[in-house]
Amino acid sequence: MSDALSDAGSDVNQDDAQEDVMTPAELIAKLEEAWLNEKFSPELLENKSEVVECVMEQLSHMDANLQRVKKGDAKASIHRMEIDRIRFVLSSYLRSRLRKIEKFFPHVLEREKSRGEGDPSLLSPEEFAFAKEYYANTETYLKAVALKRMPPNLQTVDMLKAVPEPCLDSFVFLRVKDRQENILVEPETDDQREYVVDLEEGSQHLMRYRTIAPLVSSGAVQLI
Amino acid sequence: MDTQSYLPVQPGVGMGENFLSLDDIVLSHERLPIRTECRFPRLGFLEKSSDSQDIPEGTKMELPLWLSKGLYEKKRRVLSVELPKVYREGWRTVFNADPNVVDLHKMGPYYYGLGSQMLHFDSPENPEIAQTLLQTFIGRFRRNMDSSQNAYNEDTSALVERLDCLEKALFTSGQSGLNSFQSWEKGQASQLTASSLVLNYRKRKITDLQP
Amino acid sequence: MDSSEVEFLAEKETVKIIPNFSLDRIYLIGGDLGPFNPGLPVDVPVWLALNLKQRQKCRIVPPAWMDVEKLEEMRELERKEDTFTPVPSPYYMELTKLLLNYASDNIPKADEIRTLVKDIWDTRIAKLRLSADSFISQLEAHAKLDNLTLMEINTIRAFLLDSLNCMYKLRSNLQPGSSKGQFTDY
Repeated sequence: MSDALSDAGSDVNQDDAQEDVMTPAELIAKLEEAWLNEKFSPELLENKSEVVECVMEQLSHMDANLQRVKKGDAKASIHRMEIDRIRFVLSSYLRSRLRKIEKFFPHVLEREKSRGEGDPSLLSPEEFAFAKEYYANTETYLKAVALKRMPPNLQTVDMLKAVPEPCLDSFVFLRVKDRQENILVEPETDDQREYVVDLEEGSQHLMRYRTIAPLVSSGAVQLI
Repeated sequence: MDTQSYLPVQPGVGMGENFLSLDDIVLSHERLPIRTECRFPRLGFLEKSSDSQDIPEGTKMELPLWLSKGLYEKKRRVLSVELPKVYREGWRTVFNADPNVVDLHKMGPYYYGLGSQMLHFDSPENPEIAQTLLQTFIGRFRRNMDSSQNAYNEDTSALVERLDCLEKALFTSGQSGLNSFQSWEKGQASQLTASSLVLNYRKRKITDLQP
Repeated sequence: MDSSEVEFLAEKETVKIIPNFSLDRIYLIGGDLGPFNPGLPVDVPVWLALNLKQRQKCRIVPPAWMDVEKLEEMRELERKEDTFTPVPSPYYMELTKLLLNYASDNIPKADEIRTLVKDIWDTRIAKLRLSADSFISQLEAHAKLDNLTLMEINTIRAFLLDSLNCMYKLRSNLQPGSSKGQFTDY
């Protein structure tokens, strides 16, 4: 049986289309990073479909291998435990994205609409379909329970105004992965002055999401 | 796990209101003392104390916040809004002296929300009102944090009865952090429980069966 | 974040075990483990160590810091300093709970360790509240939180972040006109 399992740890990205080659362990680390960032950022982050797809591929590859293993195999049970753990992170990640899509759907769709030709998409195709459907369902529901009984001039609700936007001024906790210099901290009151801080590698901070949002997407800081 | 089947829309807190927030809807029904600055033809039925068909200019009455906001205009004076007394100077002095002694539930219960909304009506006192709201919140923060982070497994009604609605919501989020940690520490987190969705579904089914 | 999710992350830390069975190297997606030989110490993630322990397949070697003398020193230092002192593990609280709950027979003076870690935790949480309060009352825009662990942050996260949000909105009241919600017409 060990033959069936021993090649499971080999590289995922055999196709050359993938630019940087990642080991499966790095891939899982990427997924966990994305999971925590998504959990703690006030807005919906760019989707990581390529990571999600690679992880799913790994999981089904491993699943397939385990099918061939006889029951009660000691190694197989360890592999299953690992698969369960990865699956937990994966579904928790996807769920926290869905929750944010439900919370901010008009804004998410608006951003998707105004996105330039070559810009990366915020949503995966499945999430985009979900968001559109959620929008349509909410509209239909509001119409059915209330709006159609209103005077004709009051029968529409501007969803963009009715649903609150993500608050980018929220504070977040973060850990620095790559040292950053001269991060501008804006004053909280009129009698304070703005100042700059250096974010040392490994240090942890509490500050406004807006200030460091670009560093989250570049991967220089990790939300915690 | 923090899986909620219903995610309520949070109140807007500041001058903005969230259209779909239940708290903000209730807040918009708070009644404000106003004075009419012109005649309101054929609206006499709103003013129960008199029999006349119109509401004459200079009438003092109460209107809900949403209506006062809708009728209020800076250029054309339709009505003027009087400051509720908790936001007036006398009370502001009390708040600034020691915000912890005040029963914000009795004075509010939307002390911060309504106070922020009052800033929509042009008043020379607005900067002071805004400042007092902020200082009151900051002044009461420590006590609110301590009580929400220390009260475990006890009746919290005495702790929250003097809190404004906003503070109450914060108290709840502080409690959820504490409870999550405590139940983890005791090992209760590893016990599986039925999802609230399933439990509610069962309840619903039973009521469906009743004629 | 739920406390059990923080525990989940702690379970990825490695711990030394002494297995009583033999097994070849295992090629997990997250990295290789083993080989396992009876009596020979080997590093594994905590989730696996606990599972093997529960099936009586190994003995767990407690981490070096899980020691009464060392923890006593740490407790004294933590009480003396005003700032957060460095912790022996970013998951010290979670690992203590996990290892003591499932492998207390492998850990000398387990009860004393439990009390010491709880003391350290309580001291740190008191400091955390103190700093949260001064962060709020000074209207700070940035705080450095080195040495604070995820579990510690997590106990105060929702309360502190929600409070800061409310404060932000109450503060934007001070600059009328900056708030866009004025007479929003739906």
